[in-house]
Amino acid sequence: MLKHIRRLSQALFLLLFLWLFLSTESRGANELGYPVKLFLEADPLLYLTTVLSTRRFYTPFLLALVVVLITVLLGRVFCGWICPLGTLHNLAGCLKKERGPGKPGHLYFGKYLLLIFLLVSSAFGLQLTGLADPLSLLIRSLSLAVYPLFHSAVVSVFDTVYTWDLPVLTKCSEFLYALLKKGFLSFQQPHFQQALLLGLLFFAILALNLREKRFWCRYLCPLGAFLGLCSRYALLNRSVSEVCDGCGGCAKVCPGGAAPDSKEKWRKSECLLCMNCDDLCPRNAVSFGFSRKPSGAALDLGKRRVIGAIAAGTVAVPLLNTSPLKKAGAADPRLIRPPGSLEEAEFLKKCITCGQCMKVCITNGLQPTLLEAGLDGIWSPMLVPRIGYCEYRCTLCGQVCPTGAIRDLTLEEKATVRIGTAMIDKGRCLPFAHATPCIVCQEVCPTPEKAIWFETVPVKNRTGRLLTLRQPHVDLELCVGCGICEAKCPVLGRPAISVTSIGESRSRDNQLLLP
Amino acid sequence: MKRRDFLKSALVTGAALSLPAGLDPVLNVLQAAERPDLAVARGTPPARIVRAAIGSLGGMKRFVSRGDIVVVKPNIGWDRTPEYAANTNPEVIAAAVRLCFEAGAKQVKVFDHPVNDPRRTYRQSGIAAAASAAGATVSFTDSRKFKDMRINGTSLKSWPLYTEVFEADKVINIPIAKTHGTSRLTLGMKNWMGVMGGWRGRIHQRIDESLVDLAMFIRPTLTILDAVRILTDNGPQGGSLADVRRLNMVIAGTDAVAVDAFGATLFGMKPADLGFVRIGHQRRLGSMDLAAMNIQRITL
Repeated sequence: MLKHIRRLSQALFLLLFLWLFLSTESRGANELGYPVKLFLEADPLLYLTTVLSTRRFYTPFLLALVVVLITVLLGRVFCGWICPLGTLHNLAGCLKKERGPGKPGHLYFGKYLLLIFLLVSSAFGLQLTGLADPLSLLIRSLSLAVYPLFHSAVVSVFDTVYTWDLPVLTKCSEFLYALLKKGFLSFQQPHFQQALLLGLLFFAILALNLREKRFWCRYLCPLGAFLGLCSRYALLNRSVSEVCDGCGGCAKVCPGGAAPDSKEKWRKSECLLCMNCDDLCPRNAVSFGFSRKPSGAALDLGKRRVIGAIAAGTVAVPLLNTSPLKKAGAADPRLIRPPGSLEEAEFLKKCITCGQCMKVCITNGLQPTLLEAGLDGIWSPMLVPRIGYCEYRCTLCGQVCPTGAIRDLTLEEKATVRIGTAMIDKGRCLPFAHATPCIVCQEVCPTPEKAIWFETVPVKNRTGRLLTLRQPHVDLELCVGCGICEAKCPVLGRPAISVTSIGESRSRDNQLLLP
Repeated sequence: MKRRDFLKSALVTGAALSLPAGLDPVLNVLQAAERPDLAVARGTPPARIVRAAIGSLGGMKRFVSRGDIVVVKPNIGWDRTPEYAANTNPEVIAAAVRLCFEAGAKQVKVFDHPVNDPRRTYRQSGIAAAASAAGATVSFTDSRKFKDMRINGTSLKSWPLYTEVFEADKVINIPIAKTHGTSRLTLGMKNWMGVMGGWRGRIHQRIDESLVDLAMFIRPTLTILDAVRILTDNGPQGGSLADVRRLNMVIAGTDAVAVDAFGATLFGMKPADLGFVRIGHQRRLGSMDLAAMNIQRITL
């Protein structure tokens, strides 16, 4: 009975999660109108590590606090009843063939070591939690890989039927397509760098369920580990009555690997409160109830392992800081951060690489980095103008950022924020190099007084004919680095005008002009 | 009304009453002799001047027949609100849509292929809301409906264009008057860039010839130039209210070159200052000779 209520709760939270995910998309207004950050804001691990790395409290933290309180009172309810990734793991686990009693895993301490590593490194100012946090991982994987895949597959099916142009079938499929477009498909095909890598990683994590059900939750999930620690002294406890004959059935259905068959020695911190054992027990020996007396086995991680994890977390910080990219003036010039991003060091301490900004970016210009921001900045957002520019009057990326790595700008602020500066390549620009008119960059430049101005110049072409051409120049004071000039430059291949991060408002050093 | 005009119209009306139905074309020719080449209406609100301008051209029934599918093509190119004069005035679009329905149109389609993100431009311009409220079918362009078309112009040989424009019974072009870096102004003919697919930025290399090629290929039934607000600098996108001038004017006509020629005068230019108007005139797409035209000016 309780198992079914749990499943219902899981389904509802998964649907809520997916609905919010699909709502993380512009419908034309500059506000989304839905609390799309909800799940990330409810993640206490993301909150804690961000506070540790930045040494500053921030709001909102209410939901995260609620999750901690629930866990302290009841145990890992979040993992068993709410977590959308956990639910996906349950679904993927259905594909596993049951054969014989599975060996209960002994490596459950892995996730605690990962947690210790993340906590220690964040205390030293290195925020890597987003890489392994289940919610961040899920949103990133869905946004950058799974959803683009889904969109592409669906569209190609409907496009094929459309080209057949059959009397009834095509009409039906077009009707269905229009419906899907309204609620389930992206406005345009999303394209992301590293979609393949991120997708493979995600499907590999799901595939681990074939080896052991909820493998991720048992051995890897740092949020699970954190909540496990919180649940050590939970008031809701499991008790097994005398009638238990030790059939071991409960151990087979336990998704957390909490060793429920060892009665008083069950691993409380591994219990997901799924209620499988309660429902299954043929003798009805299992019950959950509130009691003050601590029960369950002590969590033994091994001193050496804990010291190892602490050492790794400590060493990782200076090791990653030796990257030449951290040297002043040596940052990758292509690293154009979204408008409103904090100064780079602060940005990396806050960015949890959840990918929400990339999902919501209306031009698809925000892309995940690989090594442009260093290994510690992997999968953080970067504007690639050739893929999409930064829309002048759009502030969505700041609105969806859960930690404030990208500030939520007003439109007035946005107009003053510079993310880079455009410069012209005279060797490729048509009016400069090829005696041909163009000026598309000037046409599309969005600043009220255009940052691209032109000079009318007499130019001789090959035959010696004198032409009057307008040659573009960039006004360094006015350019905000939005990159629409680069995006629309008709010189394909290497564009004749391109943006690099120089001049970005957030940096003190990466400047060209005297203040 | 002068006596001569009175006699003429009496004669036409009398003839109309006495002629059998089969001679309608003759009647139309006779009536056409009276119609202005351009109607320039000034005043407020925008919906009223649109009605007045179309009325003086002979009413929307002259252009739209019962059961027609009509495409109304505004400029929805930019993520700007109406007061910045970067997109066609939404009230002008809504008025034109209503006139089409009053003339018996079955469906009126409104779309553009914007430069900025369509979701934002459709909304910020106010056009999607205004046109839908007037009963139009407002849609984003569908990439499947851009098909390579043989334009056979002097500059453009073939280009992917939006098929819905060519499948419609009638096409009404409703641009806004703005400055532009390459073509100096963007008026009616330049508005057809909004049905081009592909890397259309390339046509700026031979902008004037290309615009005339497009205009000769598309040939709208009617052009209504929105000059309720015009953008006098930093076009075509603007962004500063200091560059916007309020003229409260619309110009309507069937000759795309003549409408653009008149548009030039709003910015203190001569029609021949605009390359695409000059070339359009030379290639007999229309006339830029404003002095020789019957221009009816209406002030409300």
